[in-house]
Amino acid sequence: MTMSMTKPDRISAARRIAALRLPGRDARLGLLLIAPIVLVMGALVLLPLVLTAWDSLYRIDPMRAGTPFIGAANYINLASDPEVRAAAANTMWIVLLAVILETVGGVAFALLLQSMGPVRKWLLAAIILPWAMPSVVNSLIWSWMFNPSYGVLNAILHGLGLIPAGYVWSNDRTAALLIITIVHVWKMLPLTAVIMLAALQTIPMHLYEAAKIDGAGPIRTFFSITLPMTMGALAIAMTQSTVSAFNLFDEAWILGGASLDTRTLLIQVYMSAFQNLHMSYGMALSILVLIASLAVSLIYVARRRGETQGE
Amino acid sequence: MPKSRAIQPKKIFKGLFIAFVLIWSLGPIYWSINSSLMQPVDLLAQPPHAVPPAPTLAHYTGLLGLENAADNATGQSIWPQFRSATINSIVTAVAATLATIVLAALGGYAFARLHFPGRNIVFGLVVATLAVPGYTVIIPLYREMIALKLVDTYLGLTLIYVSAFLPLALWMMRSFFSGLPVVLEEAAAIDGAGRMRILFRIVLPLALPGLIAAGIITFLSVWQQFGIPLVFSPTAATKPLTVMIPELASRHDINYGLLNAAGILAIIPPFIVVFFLNRFLVQGLTAGTGK
Repeated sequence: MTMSMTKPDRISAARRIAALRLPGRDARLGLLLIAPIVLVMGALVLLPLVLTAWDSLYRIDPMRAGTPFIGAANYINLASDPEVRAAAANTMWIVLLAVILETVGGVAFALLLQSMGPVRKWLLAAIILPWAMPSVVNSLIWSWMFNPSYGVLNAILHGLGLIPAGYVWSNDRTAALLIITIVHVWKMLPLTAVIMLAALQTIPMHLYEAAKIDGAGPIRTFFSITLPMTMGALAIAMTQSTVSAFNLFDEAWILGGASLDTRTLLIQVYMSAFQNLHMSYGMALSILVLIASLAVSLIYVARRRGETQGE
Repeated sequence: MPKSRAIQPKKIFKGLFIAFVLIWSLGPIYWSINSSLMQPVDLLAQPPHAVPPAPTLAHYTGLLGLENAADNATGQSIWPQFRSATINSIVTAVAATLATIVLAALGGYAFARLHFPGRNIVFGLVVATLAVPGYTVIIPLYREMIALKLVDTYLGLTLIYVSAFLPLALWMMRSFFSGLPVVLEEAAAIDGAGRMRILFRIVLPLALPGLIAAGIITFLSVWQQFGIPLVFSPTAATKPLTVMIPELASRHDINYGLLNAAGILAIIPPFIVVFFLNRFLVQGLTAGTGK
């Protein structure tokens, strides 16, 4: 259509393209389009975030009169609170175990998927399914399978002679934390597998062919080609594993409730604020959890920003 | 005797691994379906039945109000509770998904194509909140919602969900828009189309796969929420399935058949997404991970 343009046509076309880049018009439309986003995010995330940090320096407790400024007292008390320490230790164990299992399992699942033919799509769907399910439902399904009297996994493990009859997992802290971690890994491992599968698919085939010609075995090939080529994706997968395990709430709440044996940091925040009504004490703890979580995600965000810089 | 017929150990290993992956991923779901179809008395068998000896749909018909099945603990029909929880889950998930998608599409286009002051700072701030766990702001958010009288309302929940899941959707949409060739938009501008016309007639149709991917990720995220409604949905007015179902288990007399049936009904939407919208889901999950 541009072929038959007359001269004035061409001029007005150039003008219209220029209009696409008119700074004034763009600016007004751009600000209009993002206004609702700024409003929602500002009111519901940024403002509460600032309030959390601010209020954590006061004593806000509906059970006590006044809201005096107490400086870092909440933070100092947190450091010596045995409940907080127990919750922090529980969270650390869950994070450690979950990241190891999700990374090793996720990479193994991704390698398997990569080696599959046309049925890959269906196997992938089966693998993703637990990720898509509500963690509450997952927790209830697993707790039924680990039911001391009627659970199928208890029956199998008892049959193998690994546990006594009627074994109650929640009676032992290690066992209870292990079950919570397994339920969490069941849900989150698929994400690592999907991220790693996407990365595996970007490795050029000729690298593998060259390795084969050079006589490299599968293990050697994995460590000198597959792993180095997927390092970035692996870092992202591990970061998201860490952050999601760090912020674990649902599984521990359904399986262990308020029990100190399995209480995670976020359950501790929930308990202080909504059960014991020590509002600002809970806020101080959530600020600490945020800082720890941010420290971990920093690698992740830095990487993502690095990728978009080129645009 | 034809050679090369021998089964290689490598193939056996792979077969075993596939079997393990399938049992690990689908086994618990199978077991839940199995339990949901059993008579209460069969659930207590030792060892457990691998298939229901006398299958029954009683738990499902009870939950869905087709039969007068009662909650063991209270003796009342479970249907009204289950119905309102299902409606609440659907309403909040659909409303939050639509709102998120609209804001992410418009905003994503603005961040990708339009130049305005503060563009990078605003985008950076919004995306940075991806690293903020929702629970960090839950206490002041609760007080804010009380002040606005939005606790236990669809509007309040929807707003919270949008603020939680918009950053990822926005990120995805901006990436999609940035990946589209500008030439098309310039050609439309030559034909005299304005910005909004270009957005709705040319850009959005091309970005449809991205829009669907962002939509289903948002929908699944809202559908599975537990912590937020635990705080913000204290009554049946907005209480979703994820909060209502565990309440069935906290009674002294737990009916595991009923519990499993409720869980299976709650995973129907994720199941549909995984098996019918798989392509978009994988695209959404890997968006922005440096694929």
